[in-house]
Amino acid sequence: MARREAAGRAVLYATCMPVLLFLLLPSLVIVPMALTKGQMIQFPPIWISVHSFTDYIEDPQWFRSTVLSFEVAALAVAIGCITGSAAALALHDRRFPGKGLVTGAIMAPIVVPLVVLALGGYMVFAWLHLIGGWIAIGLLHGMLVTPYVFISVQTSLVAALNPLLVRSARSLGAGRMSVLRHVIWPAIRPGVLAGALLGFAVSFDEVVIALFLQGPNAVTLPVRMFTAIQFELTPKVAASASLFLLLSVLVLLAQAAVLRRREAA
Amino acid sequence: MAVRALTAPSFKRSPAARRSPAWLLAPVALLYGALALLPIGVILRLGLSDGGAPLRTVLRSPLLLRAAENTVVIGLLTTVVAVLLGTLLAVALWRAGPTLRSLLWACILLPFWTGVLIKNFAWASLLQDNGVVNAMLLALGATDHPLTLLHTRFAVIVGMVHYVLPYAVFPIFTSLRAIDPLLERAARSLGARPRRVVWLVILPLIIPGLSNAALLVFIVACGFFITPVILGAPSDMMVANLIDYYVHDLVDFNAAAALSILILAAIAVLIVLQQMLPKEGQHGTA
Amino acid sequence: MNVALPIVATASLGEARHYLSVEHVWKSYTSGVHVVRDVSFTLAPGEFLTLLGPSGSGKTSTLMMVAGFEAPTRGAIRVDGRDVAQLPPERRNFGVVFQGYALFPHMSVLDNVAFPLRMKGLGGAARRRAAMEMLDKVGLADFATRRPRALSGGQQQRVALARALVFEPDALLLDEPLGALDRKLRESLQIEIKELQRRLGVSILFVTHDQDEAMMMSDRIAVMQDGEIAQLGAPEEVYLHPETPFVAGFLGDTNLLRGQCIAQPGGHAVVRFADGVIGPARLSRGGRRPGIGDAVLVSIRPERIGLLQPDAAADCVVEGVVADRVFLGRHTRLEVAALGRMLIVSAAVQPSADVVPGATVRLGWSGEDAQILNESDGQTPIRHGRA
Repeated sequence: MARREAAGRAVLYATCMPVLLFLLLPSLVIVPMALTKGQMIQFPPIWISVHSFTDYIEDPQWFRSTVLSFEVAALAVAIGCITGSAAALALHDRRFPGKGLVTGAIMAPIVVPLVVLALGGYMVFAWLHLIGGWIAIGLLHGMLVTPYVFISVQTSLVAALNPLLVRSARSLGAGRMSVLRHVIWPAIRPGVLAGALLGFAVSFDEVVIALFLQGPNAVTLPVRMFTAIQFELTPKVAASASLFLLLSVLVLLAQAAVLRRREAA
Repeated sequence: MAVRALTAPSFKRSPAARRSPAWLLAPVALLYGALALLPIGVILRLGLSDGGAPLRTVLRSPLLLRAAENTVVIGLLTTVVAVLLGTLLAVALWRAGPTLRSLLWACILLPFWTGVLIKNFAWASLLQDNGVVNAMLLALGATDHPLTLLHTRFAVIVGMVHYVLPYAVFPIFTSLRAIDPLLERAARSLGARPRRVVWLVILPLIIPGLSNAALLVFIVACGFFITPVILGAPSDMMVANLIDYYVHDLVDFNAAAALSILILAAIAVLIVLQQMLPKEGQHGTA
Repeated sequence: MNVALPIVATASLGEARHYLSVEHVWKSYTSGVHVVRDVSFTLAPGEFLTLLGPSGSGKTSTLMMVAGFEAPTRGAIRVDGRDVAQLPPERRNFGVVFQGYALFPHMSVLDNVAFPLRMKGLGGAARRRAAMEMLDKVGLADFATRRPRALSGGQQQRVALARALVFEPDALLLDEPLGALDRKLRESLQIEIKELQRRLGVSILFVTHDQDEAMMMSDRIAVMQDGEIAQLGAPEEVYLHPETPFVAGFLGDTNLLRGQCIAQPGGHAVVRFADGVIGPARLSRGGRRPGIGDAVLVSIRPERIGLLQPDAAADCVVEGVVADRVFLGRHTRLEVAALGRMLIVSAAVQPSADVVPGATVRLGWSGEDAQILNESDGQTPIRHGRA
């Protein structure tokens, strides 16, 4: 009887293997593609060389784009952390008619097509004469990052904030700011961190909004890659893609570490 | 007893003193107000200007018909495949022990966090005529000349399913986890063979999760921009690409705005319809 | 919860009378931990047998093995002599009631009860009719179309019972089904279950950690500890004549007295306690028989110690000084300093007014109520008994 269950389970996992392979395949081929000697993208690569990486770093445009993407992502994460955490705190433990709608509205940027957000953002910033600057992109990305931080902090609040702690701190005379600093912040810190990491990855990689809001001095790395992929597919693209991948893996590991510490808390 | 009454916490609703102040909602309201509501307002104004002329232009355009048809077809195909594969993965996650589960999560989340651009770029390389997939097919003898896989609708769907699969897994896994573990035992003790347990007990209880997953995936799939450009042919243009066309090629902002209104309206209708579906889950609601 | 149960003369379970036999069953996990050790018992047709023990005693694991959800590492489980080890749960024809009821939330109460009949292949109308009859028997006919979540805990429990009985199982297995209910509800459901069992004549294997529940409902009790059965017997047997300190302490308050066995005339023993007091005691059934001169541990229930009038006699008489007196409604509890320690005495009839702290009293008990315990398990219970 237990054997039949084990057999069923084996079939289940066996069927999953191709799907998992499907999921991982793209990530697995990027780095090898970058390590090619030729000037053309090919897989499998003929010779191993790191010239693509050096080409990428030495190209002033690509380098500038990389730095810009970091700046944009930093701004986006800063904004998203503040708005997302504040919103999660405000909605925590509070029940009112329409709470579902408010939560849905906060989560909307994930679901609404980016083009629409990009178009609207473009028109608003054009009107404000802020087109062509990285700040506009950063602001819009901030809105994109907010839902991720919101969910993450919300989970932290539910899992790690003991209501009795707040109550006892208050009864001992702690004011609002003290409670925030000593009771609430330690509880939500992992959530904010995890959300920030995810938000960073989301912003760094975002194409559509950055495409619409680009300017001569505000071309993020993904936009540059997007154009390159369509018109000049050199190994440089693969090199920057590898760095992207590295970033994602680092973020994934960092998030896992942060979350594991939260579970332990 | 009196002491107990004094210190007994009531967790149902915190008194106002314990809750965080409501003005904390201000930052997000400000941000969204400026960057979402305001733009949507502008979009509505532009799209409905001239007594709705841009709307009519867009609605009469044959391009819209093409793009809409592509979007719906590709969206539906992607949704069906993603929900099927997503259910498979969700069930595997559900049944797995802790180590296997972490491994599976890692496999599912890595592509989730790898950027859409990277993924499409990788698929483009994999599916090109001298790419890995063709190389494997030739090696296996399944075909004697490279198949055209890139710049086809097939490639678009591959790319999209790859992107949305994690979105499908989350809601389905959540609803599986919510099922009382004793229900399976109860059903078996009452004479149900394992297959009947799945059909009669488990499946009905995950229907809300499945419908949530399908809605989420469909909406996300319909908004796709990058994938059709990199992996598809010009004939696979989707509505998001059409907006881009209006903005960057025709420089007709009003029409772009009108199209955006249509898209938002369609999404709103879908969400409302899905909320109206009967939601019989573990706890009576989804 | 006043439910009028109509008396039905015929046992509606028909001729399904089966004899469940658990034989030397062991269960261990790959980590090497034994959760069930050498457990053996039988369940006769129409019998109510309870597996009683603290959490971790292996009682639920044993039940799950009988039900078929876990496989014994060693030993056999037979129904009417047939080994059922190869049978998966869905073929074992036992009705199981789980903790938390496990009612299908997406089906109506009626469909829940009809479910096992559907598994047996009964047609729609027929199974709904049978399910309705069963619901009627538990007094829930009016709730047939409701969803389980609309019912109270006690009502859900009765639906679970109905569902487990409707297909006339060989036996009913219940895993701490009343744990989540408050005391009043629990007591009335205990009575209902007992009534149902008597009317339908179904065999019941019941798991609980509540000793009062076990004694109230069972024909026989198997007291379990650390995966083993410490004692198996009728409630009076297990309560009045416990065999080990654990059993003595688990089933209720008791006084554990140390003494020395000084004689063994016939089938009894004579024990010298502290202060030179001598009295008869019962020898335990199992375990090593104490030799003359050996130290023994004797258990005497507080309610079996009587307050003696000055001229009254008893098998064993002890003088002591009252240290405390508490009125507890059903009985009055006295703590009496005697034999160099505190004795707990439970008096159903209120003692006279002069029995107050400081007063001298004469206590006595019968030799039948002094039980020598078998200490081979080396365990003294955590609660109540003071050695």
